[in-house]
Amino acid sequence: MTRLESSPSILPLYLKAAMPLIPGASSLPFLPGGGGEIPSGLGFELKGVVPQQDQVAEYAKVCGFPLKDRLPPTFPHVLAFPLHMAVMSNGEFPFGAVGLVHIENSINQLRPIAFGEMLEVKVEVTSLSPHPKGQIFSLLTEVSAAGETVWTETSTMLRRGKGSKKPSAPGLEIPTLDPGTPASATWKLPADLGRRYGAVSGDRNPIHMHALTAKPLGFHSAIAHGMWTAARALAQIESRLPDSFTAGVRFRKPIFLPARVQFAAEGDGTETLFAVRDARKGTPHMDGRITSNANETAKASN
Amino acid sequence: MNKKTRKVAVVGANRIPFARSNGAYSHASNQDMLTSALDGLIDRFGLEGETLGEVAGGAVLKHSRDRDLTRESVLGTRLAAETPAYDVQQACGTGLETTVLVANKIALGQIDAGIACGADTTSDAPIALNEELRETLLEANRQTTTLGRIKALTNVRPQHLVPAIPRNEEPRTGLSMGEHCAIMAADWEISRSEQDALTVASHHNLAAAYERGFFEDLITPYLGLRQDQNLRPDSSLVKLAGLKPVFGGPEGTMTAANSTPLSDGASAVLLASEDWAKERGLPILAFVEEAQTAAVDYLHKREGLLMAPAYAMSEMLARANLSLQDFDYYEIHEAFAAQVLCTLKAWEDPDYCRQKLGRSEAMGPIDRSKLNVNGGSLAAAHPFAATGGRIVGSLAKQLHEDGTGRGVISICAAGGQGVVAILEAPGGKK
Repeated sequence: MTRLESSPSILPLYLKAAMPLIPGASSLPFLPGGGGEIPSGLGFELKGVVPQQDQVAEYAKVCGFPLKDRLPPTFPHVLAFPLHMAVMSNGEFPFGAVGLVHIENSINQLRPIAFGEMLEVKVEVTSLSPHPKGQIFSLLTEVSAAGETVWTETSTMLRRGKGSKKPSAPGLEIPTLDPGTPASATWKLPADLGRRYGAVSGDRNPIHMHALTAKPLGFHSAIAHGMWTAARALAQIESRLPDSFTAGVRFRKPIFLPARVQFAAEGDGTETLFAVRDARKGTPHMDGRITSNANETAKASN
Repeated sequence: MNKKTRKVAVVGANRIPFARSNGAYSHASNQDMLTSALDGLIDRFGLEGETLGEVAGGAVLKHSRDRDLTRESVLGTRLAAETPAYDVQQACGTGLETTVLVANKIALGQIDAGIACGADTTSDAPIALNEELRETLLEANRQTTTLGRIKALTNVRPQHLVPAIPRNEEPRTGLSMGEHCAIMAADWEISRSEQDALTVASHHNLAAAYERGFFEDLITPYLGLRQDQNLRPDSSLVKLAGLKPVFGGPEGTMTAANSTPLSDGASAVLLASEDWAKERGLPILAFVEEAQTAAVDYLHKREGLLMAPAYAMSEMLARANLSLQDFDYYEIHEAFAAQVLCTLKAWEDPDYCRQKLGRSEAMGPIDRSKLNVNGGSLAAAHPFAATGGRIVGSLAKQLHEDGTGRGVISICAAGGQGVVAILEAPGGKK
């Protein structure tokens, strides 16, 4: 665990993360690459983080959240993102971050985070585990305020490659919402959505920015950020979210921008399943599940 | 229609601290602020999932995207989505007028409980297309041929790029609210020192109310603000004396301190029938006893633009068979210190009361120590539609603390209008 004095600047990290694309560069000690295992103990922490109002306001606007006195429940991901990049661009990291696919994400909000609270952000990384389409690992984020853990996140990334026949570790338990569930909203995603979310989140991965930057990486146009889609989904049901809840999402087919997608949800105060799919073809883009932690606590004590 | 009316209780209120324009809430919209004020009220009184009879609210400065502002705000809260809502706009009277509307429906038995609310932002103000450009574009849109459209669009001129910015100005006189009030201040010979004294009292009273924790169950923090940004607890006559006049020319008496600043904020009041409140074990802070709205002809009869509350008060007291001295608290909205002082002077003036208000004698003076005892708009600031809810909440709470007593509210509004109302403590009059 390395303590950082300030939030790392993201652009140089992107360059470092992308360098392994250059043949031979990976052998340099300060660049990620070389293969092998993710070293244990790799992680970063950052203290004294106080989200600024203009950044939160811009984020809320792009994702569809109202500007309330509490942070949007997905916002801490943005605070942790530079640390995620720092992990994946570290010289000891076995491969470059470019080309990694974010396949699952789980957020556990233990209590709402109020505006102005001073936060500590900690990011660690798991070791690699087998997956049918390659190998996976998770970035574990913990946000605390005055020593109290208030928010945690598990972001699971896939490194595409030779699949393993070994049984893979169980992922998130997210039943797919019945495709027949009628949509409750249609979202029009503009072509510049990736650039707009990139500006408020710092996640300027070229696959999200523009068709020209997405093509070399195998996408025919820019794709929406998975974490935008997750945030937009939570914003859709913001007023019905419990104070303490877990929100898991599984990213499925990418959303090519511009797009018209539909949001559908079914549930009650304790569990809600939701899905984002293409408005015309029904292509599944994301499955999600929200569970109230109050209910979990009640179950545990029963 | 129900012939019998019933008592209407003020159960509680909530607001976000008021911020100075382009201050703490510069990124917040009316909807963000209104939703936050409602959220606080809902949390405080356990209204999550409740279907209320209605929510009436509004804003004075509205974006075109703020259509159905109140309904959209309700949908952003944890109230049951089956709660109906509508927008009201009566300039600075909006907040109190919504209270009257909801209270009347409760009194008539049409609903059991509802919320009156309001919000305004001058930071996130609606800036519209230049009016001539808008007309040109509409004209082009009306054309049926491409050539016709192109021809219409050739009327676009560079000066059309200047947007329409909302102005605090009376459309029929071209004068701002402050300029109108400066005319009143001169007519009624209101001195600078009287205005400054009222301003200092407003700041000191508000500061003292914060000091004793009066607002703890009336305010929820928002975006890092815990109390009104405009409040200056150390305000003094010496400091205010140094300010230059901003209205009424170089000889004017109105300054940036004894006029309310542009500001942002939102407030909400929970009203209910007695039974509804009792069934839920909720408090009754006060009862809404009376209300009256009046308007004056400031265009053709030379009445002061902000003098309507004087008329509304006279009418309401006559109907309620009360005198101006029958109150323990006077909550007179301090749009400008001069507005309050002109109104008080008018009530003391036998000629005015006879000729304008149709009374046989002057309504008389009030005990000034009962005026705006927990601070007024000069200190708290005045986000137009949010002021009514602030005053209703504060007065109701003060009456509840006392147990008995009666208070009266007076709010002036643009367009020559005024709204007044009477609240009574749960224990009745003293």
